[in-house]
Amino acid sequence: MRKIVLLLLLTLFGVSWLGIDAAAAAMPSAKPAVGQAVGSKNLELSQVRWANHTEALTGAAKLRLVMDVSGPVKASGVVINAPTPRLVVTVTGTTPGKGVADLTFDGQVVEKVSFDISGTDTKVTFDLPLKVEASDYKVFTLPSDAKANKPFRVVVDINKPLPLPDFSFTAGLKNKVIVIDPGHGGSDSGAIGPSRYQEKTVTLAVAQNVQDLLEKAGAKVIMTRQDDRDVFGSNATDVEELKARSSVGNNYKADIFLSIHADSFSNPAAGGTTTYYYQKTLYDSMMAEALQTSLIEAGNLQDRGARTANFYVIKRTQMPAALVELAFISNPNEEKLLSSPGFQQKMSLGIVRGLERFFDQAAKLN
Amino acid sequence: MKTSRLIIMAVLMAIVFMIAGCDNAAPGNQPTPANPENKLADKSQPSGSATAEPERTMQLVVYHATKDAMYLVPEMHKVPVNSHPARTAIELLQAGPQNPEFVGVMPAGTQMKNITVKDHIAYVDFNDKLIKKNGGGSASEILLVGAIVNTLTEFPDIEQVQILVNGKKIETISGHMDTSEPLSRSEKIIKK
Repeated sequence: MRKIVLLLLLTLFGVSWLGIDAAAAAMPSAKPAVGQAVGSKNLELSQVRWANHTEALTGAAKLRLVMDVSGPVKASGVVINAPTPRLVVTVTGTTPGKGVADLTFDGQVVEKVSFDISGTDTKVTFDLPLKVEASDYKVFTLPSDAKANKPFRVVVDINKPLPLPDFSFTAGLKNKVIVIDPGHGGSDSGAIGPSRYQEKTVTLAVAQNVQDLLEKAGAKVIMTRQDDRDVFGSNATDVEELKARSSVGNNYKADIFLSIHADSFSNPAAGGTTTYYYQKTLYDSMMAEALQTSLIEAGNLQDRGARTANFYVIKRTQMPAALVELAFISNPNEEKLLSSPGFQQKMSLGIVRGLERFFDQAAKLN
Repeated sequence: MKTSRLIIMAVLMAIVFMIAGCDNAAPGNQPTPANPENKLADKSQPSGSATAEPERTMQLVVYHATKDAMYLVPEMHKVPVNSHPARTAIELLQAGPQNPEFVGVMPAGTQMKNITVKDHIAYVDFNDKLIKKNGGGSASEILLVGAIVNTLTEFPDIEQVQILVNGKKIETISGHMDTSEPLSRSEKIIKK
């Protein structure tokens, strides 16, 4: 009996080695057979995977669907908006594999994806929650990469749509509800300059100036903090602290939210003014551009631009929001400016003019 | 009964050998995709003649900041092939730029504790110096997160990066950026 087992083992072992060659030899002959079965030499759309992507720095959200194909093919997309919005991607000369099934999503970017045979092509239909523009999606192919063990791929990217506009603004500052968030505070000093001046000090000083100016112009101002303290309370976690700030805006149903900060970098030569926004409504970039223009006019520092950023407080607030970085506290010259009441007042006026500029522009959209 | 059990055992063993054998013989002699680290090592390019040189090198790309804190720039490194290229890339990031025109972004004393890759998401775990020694400021935080994410997404198997500190997800590093979810590469921040 033992001999039989040994023999069996040896035989199977031998087959396992020979099997490689046998399999390799069998492969090419097997393929046309499959091809003939579907009546053409179609390639196989063998596997589909997808992921939600959040770009690290801008926070831009998109859904990426990747389809593996057994060889190079062409793919293109077309948007059909009636009767319901759909993106139809045609992958030429392919047949969906056995493992490829329709997919259902949460409806934030895509509701459903279905795979159909259309002549000699595969038709991939994306049912969408909202109409999309040509710039909201991308269809492209990636060549196979033997080193990375990746087959030929067809990639479909669809941007997460902006919610329909539910804001409308009148011109001027009168009766506007504005939340001002002086960055950091209390146990969190923020960045510290070479002469030990602290970010939390300048952010509060400028915020208080802005509050005075806005109230004189007839706006209602809500401050996330009035003095040197943590907004959530002491011993708060980072997320509790950030959430407490965005909650002030959300709870008061403010018209806009503005967070005031000072920037920092390891190289003391870096400097300038930046305004950050997260494009969650149609108004965020407009507000950031208006603020940036007015801040550069007021402070005359290097214009680093209005830029998108994946920042917590401007992303989690429901209303248009911006975060201004007045100047670099890590730059000795700009630290001096930040600590001077004259520069603080100049930048405060810049912020107020920027907000007024924003409301005037936004009112024209109505 | 005993013999039949033996036969079953033998067959099972043989199948295991067979599967293992087939796997090794996969096209191009690729290591199994289950281990991204090994796979990444395979990206290496032999230096000089492939057959004669005993030590092979691999090319790694790490990102540092420009002096004005506006952009990231890639820096190429050729290092001996090893089984943990992602760890090596983070170590090179930590070591800072070779070119004095660039500025390193990793806070002093930051150490990577662990990295695992699952479903194309790299979970990279640092000690708390990542937070405590970061100087604050939006610019520093953006460049730090961007450099970590872009350095790791240079590897074909890594599409997203979840930053961890002491094994836990963090909501933010310096109070601006939202780092609570896996993040994808940013091309915009790379200086053209």
